[in-house]
Amino acid sequence: MAGGLAYFIPAAQLAIEATGKVIQVTPSPSALFSPSPTPTPTSVPITGAFTVLLLGSDDDSKFNADHVLTQSMILVRVVPSTKEVTMLSIPRDLYVHLSTGGYGKIDGAYSYGGPGAAIATVEQDFNVHVDDYIWVGLLGLIKLIDAIGGVDVVTSNPVMDDYYPADIYGSWPYDYQRVAVLAGPQHLDGIHAMQYVRSRHGDLQSDLGRSQRQQQVLIAIRQKAKQLSPEDLPAMSQAIGGELKTSIGLSKVAQMLPLAASFDNPDAIRQIILASPYTHGGAPGGSLYANWGAILPLVHEYFP
Amino acid sequence: MIQRFVLAVFLAVVMLVTGVSTYLYLGTKQSKVAAPPQKPTVSTARPQALVLPGTLYLEQSGAIYSLSAGRFHQLTPEAGWSQPALFPNGQYLLAVKSGSYWNDVFALNLFGTVVSQLTSNQSRYGIADPSLDHWSFYPRLSPDGSTLWMTYDGLKCDGCYDLQLAVWSMPYGGSIRQARAWTDGGYYTGGDVQPIPAPQGGVIYTKYSYGPDERLVGQLWYTNRAGSYGRALTDPGEDCRTPSLSPSGTQLAMVCTYEKQVSYMTIATWNGSSLGPRQNILTSQLVAQPTWAPDGSGIAYFAPGSPDGPFQLWWLPQDAYQPPPPSPSPSPTPGGPHNGPLPSPSPPPPVPPVKPIQVTTNNGFDATSPMTWRS
Repeated sequence: MAGGLAYFIPAAQLAIEATGKVIQVTPSPSALFSPSPTPTPTSVPITGAFTVLLLGSDDDSKFNADHVLTQSMILVRVVPSTKEVTMLSIPRDLYVHLSTGGYGKIDGAYSYGGPGAAIATVEQDFNVHVDDYIWVGLLGLIKLIDAIGGVDVVTSNPVMDDYYPADIYGSWPYDYQRVAVLAGPQHLDGIHAMQYVRSRHGDLQSDLGRSQRQQQVLIAIRQKAKQLSPEDLPAMSQAIGGELKTSIGLSKVAQMLPLAASFDNPDAIRQIILASPYTHGGAPGGSLYANWGAILPLVHEYFP
Repeated sequence: MIQRFVLAVFLAVVMLVTGVSTYLYLGTKQSKVAAPPQKPTVSTARPQALVLPGTLYLEQSGAIYSLSAGRFHQLTPEAGWSQPALFPNGQYLLAVKSGSYWNDVFALNLFGTVVSQLTSNQSRYGIADPSLDHWSFYPRLSPDGSTLWMTYDGLKCDGCYDLQLAVWSMPYGGSIRQARAWTDGGYYTGGDVQPIPAPQGGVIYTKYSYGPDERLVGQLWYTNRAGSYGRALTDPGEDCRTPSLSPSGTQLAMVCTYEKQVSYMTIATWNGSSLGPRQNILTSQLVAQPTWAPDGSGIAYFAPGSPDGPFQLWWLPQDAYQPPPPSPSPSPTPGGPHNGPLPSPSPPPPVPPVKPIQVTTNNGFDATSPMTWRS
């Protein structure tokens, strides 16, 4: 038991740091992760549908760590009974009523009130219930992908950018660098996956275009998660370090791993991008107006 | 009292041993997903079980390797080298050496030593304004060796975001001032890449553009004149890229994704101006960089060795996509000794399907870097 405890300490530590909550580990972490003939409360498989809000931020030194924008916001609905997944990318420039008051781009909700405000804003504007959230910074995504050994992606086109921010490892966060992610099937490490999902200057659809690429990489991460075992969690926790925040407890993460493995039909993953006619330009500050008359029925259908 | 002390020590030792054992045991249960690939030269202390014909050149982690007689040899250091392409005379290699802001095309001898630098893509301002630097990718020489073909971002305007990768040609050994764009690179699409000079003249390449469904797709195109509009060889919905011409020049291998996260190996006949019907010969793997063996005995390609893992080298024998013709059944000789009804021919014994062969298991090659093959 002591060995099991010691083994899973990094994962438990991350869970505590990431969620700010003390995770009840009963009777022991090893029991938590080992298949048990008598189901414990922590090993009950997830059967009910749930919705997670994925948040991604530029959290480099240009920003105050507590007040970052969420450049990426993706609602994910998982229905275990039908093995269906729906991903809806919310444009970062969507002009909405913020839960903290007033109107603004939706990417500002997190900066004004943290994950709670981001969730409340999405819930009130999109009329959905969000069960959990996961927030990851730039370095967190890179470390996560490296920790799982990279991902296989068919990159849709050459992603070239002469003005890609050199803000992760450089000394001056306002520098630019050139990136070239060539097209086709390939194994992406964390850095190149980040370049693929973050670059937008060479894309006619800008933020909407990279939203599609973000969904591709998310699907690849989910696919790779099928290869993971609960025993990988400590090493992953150590790798990711404080670069991830979530309301999902450690026990639920362990329950999700077999769930990810059971989703074996990529065609059952529905990808939704809120391009025209769901949104259109012309809103203040270069933001986008939402066509709620079109968006809400769509959301109601896939996020009941 | 002593008995209790002994018992306590015993229990402590048991706890220590079982604790360490449990810790170590759980460590062994980790998946191997994050295990880094090995260098080809490390992983092939013994010759590979399958020996491919000739010498294959390929890239891992910024170094170019050759694979000959079942052994890998490292030709260049891990310094941004990629995309080897053999000279028509087979005596030298073209290769790209990339840095953070620009790259250049070099000619190397077959041992990896630089013979000459063929482009100068660093601007005079260096990294002060990175947008003034240039990229060159996918270099190829014309069949007569006089023309260097490449993908180059020479059409971009200062301060613009669209890099307009286009197909360019320039005299081998000439300067970039003598280069000319054969295509326009599109408009915020990813551009025109992977030029393959055709034996009959002109160039086959991959064009990225928005399809009818407003999604970016790849298509094979052909053009035989600089500045002409060219002609699509595949449909947008097929989403094909990475053309590879057979040694005879009559077949084209490519990778088609049908706008999904799959990649099929597809071949089609090529008559010098158009493609015949497509034949998907591999649909169960994430295929990249199909490359014909110079003797026509098969196609090498990259694909993950394990689900979602790094790309390994694979080999598809020719029999997998061009089954040998059935042996002729003996026909009765007219007027011969045979009389009466002909015996019904017995069905030929079932031929087991020819499967692809995995050549490497733990290398992790760059699937965006073409291979090249010397006979």
